[in-house]
Amino acid sequence: MTDRIIFVCTLLLAGVYFWGTAQIPSLELGDPLGPKAFPRMLGVGLLIAAAMLLAEILRDRKKVKAGGEDSGALSWEPQHWVVVAAVGWTALYIALFEPLGYMLATLLYLLGLTGYFNRSRHLMNGLTCVLFVTISYFAFTKLLGVNLARGIIPF
Amino acid sequence: METLTHILNGFTVAMQPINLWYTFLGVFMGTIIGVLPGIGPSAGIALLIPITYGMNPTSALIMMAGIYYGAKYGGSTTAILIRTPGEASSVMTSIDGYEMAKRGRAGAALAVSAIGSFIAGTIGVVGLTLFAVPLTSVALKFGPAEYFTLMLFAMTAVSTLTGKSPAKGVIATILGLMIATIGIDLQSGQARYTMGIPEFQDGVGFVVVVVGLFAMAEVLRGLEGIFCGTSAEAMKIKGKLWLTREEWRRSIGPIWRGGVIGFIVGVLPGAGGTIASIMSYTTEKRLSKHSEEFGHGAIEGVAGPESANNSDTAGALVPLLTLGIPGGGATAVMLGAFIMYGVQPGPLLFQNRPDLVWGLINSMYIGNVMLVILNLPLIGLFVRLLYIPQGILYPMIVAISAIGAYAINGSVVDLWLILIFGVIGYIFDKVDIPVAPLVLSLVLGGMMEQSFRQAMTISGGDLKIFYGSGITVTLLVMSLISVLLPFIIPRLRSMGSKGDES
Repeated sequence: MTDRIIFVCTLLLAGVYFWGTAQIPSLELGDPLGPKAFPRMLGVGLLIAAAMLLAEILRDRKKVKAGGEDSGALSWEPQHWVVVAAVGWTALYIALFEPLGYMLATLLYLLGLTGYFNRSRHLMNGLTCVLFVTISYFAFTKLLGVNLARGIIPF
Repeated sequence: METLTHILNGFTVAMQPINLWYTFLGVFMGTIIGVLPGIGPSAGIALLIPITYGMNPTSALIMMAGIYYGAKYGGSTTAILIRTPGEASSVMTSIDGYEMAKRGRAGAALAVSAIGSFIAGTIGVVGLTLFAVPLTSVALKFGPAEYFTLMLFAMTAVSTLTGKSPAKGVIATILGLMIATIGIDLQSGQARYTMGIPEFQDGVGFVVVVVGLFAMAEVLRGLEGIFCGTSAEAMKIKGKLWLTREEWRRSIGPIWRGGVIGFIVGVLPGAGGTIASIMSYTTEKRLSKHSEEFGHGAIEGVAGPESANNSDTAGALVPLLTLGIPGGGATAVMLGAFIMYGVQPGPLLFQNRPDLVWGLINSMYIGNVMLVILNLPLIGLFVRLLYIPQGILYPMIVAISAIGAYAINGSVVDLWLILIFGVIGYIFDKVDIPVAPLVLSLVLGGMMEQSFRQAMTISGGDLKIFYGSGITVTLLVMSLISVLLPFIIPRLRSMGSKGDES
């Protein structure tokens, strides 16, 4: 089942890529191939890869019929919600990275995650997060000269 | 003679206090990266690139190489103590290494890993020193067509040899090449696939892709593991950190053989440390007088694979340094680092910057000595890292990744890209699509298109240029073989087993 979804996604992607290639304006002066030729080859390559995958799907189906193991089944498990939540929390972090600044956004982000994944050790989590954020901010901006978003904090 | 002078000068470069410091820093961080889950050598090197920007390239590259081979040392520690390989290539070590630890011989397993890694790592660097110069003279004959076919071979080998399904490997490779086409086309000046996002005009940086696919995806997997309660506890080191005479006698053969196997496998594209360690493990099991002990704590099963995956790193640097073409994910990131520092690896580098090349190669001799010290008397220090609660560790890895990514352009777009590629990496892992081919083709994509277009301009649009010389024909045949191999081998096996039955 999973492989069939990958197969369909690959075909869709090839379609989108071909469409994107057609959108590139052509000014083929002094360059016999132009900017579209290589991408077109890649689009064809992706179709060939999809065909290879189809061949593998058919081969595996034969194996399953002959009593082999079906390795392609993936189902939705409760732990996947944790991943979805972590991705959402990270997205919120990124959205607030510049408005709040590195220090505040990172502190909130870390407190949220450690509070859930390292439960019942709130004092240790809090101290570690504050120390990490402070040390990393000053080490990177002052010692290494890396530019980090300042946000609402004045230093 | 001239080469010998360059090699000796390289030692002078490597022994400069500043470079000794960066060698130490590299192998030290490499060991930590190897021990800790979450950031592997690829993401570690990628994150350092924006931070070390503007540093002397020789010192920066010495440090990054240190991370690359240092991580292999650290990877064995986790494999032995918690049965979770810190690096994929330590997977074989986790079988017998963990069994040894359960029987109270963790000290011996860690010692044989460190000593084996040191001996084999040095064998690998000697091999690199010996093979680099002859290969550069071949590489000097390469034109655009030869480079195109060489890259084609590297990509086909990596895509069909990593992962379970060759088709998925090819999909990953082409995805990487497609991502590489995003941005302004250098020859025509046309913007391609930028979707109206100004940041995409310079293309999608490989640093964010690597950090997303390796670090962010690993964090998501790790958090999932904590939720499921599958994250393992570390064993305490028991017993002396040294080998008995009998253990030593049983280990020395596997170490040497592993060193040679690892180097040869490392030079070839696609194979990499994991295959090298599996090959070493099966070789030792076949040669051993007590093969029944394998899987139950045979020291040969630790000594061989650990040695193989260390000399593999030196082997993998051979094509990277001499041809400028990496043969796997981690060396692709190294190539990206070289390019960011304005250094193009390849035969001309040996002529133009012998100080850099030989300084880098010779620093690896010194780095291996430092690593054996870090990983034997000081191993207890690194083991403590395993006691950091993972619920704190993983969130911090995201913050570190954010710093590294934001440092590139000071743009939040790069942070979004890390998250997107993190999700892609997580899904790819679940559906068995390998990510190493994607990274390799992303780094090589621009060069591949350029060499293809240059070759076509030289030939006036005639494809004959790609099968016009002995080198291109050989490389095309090798590419074809690497594509067909995964289909042929199962056939041969089934024919063999039918033959046995009859």
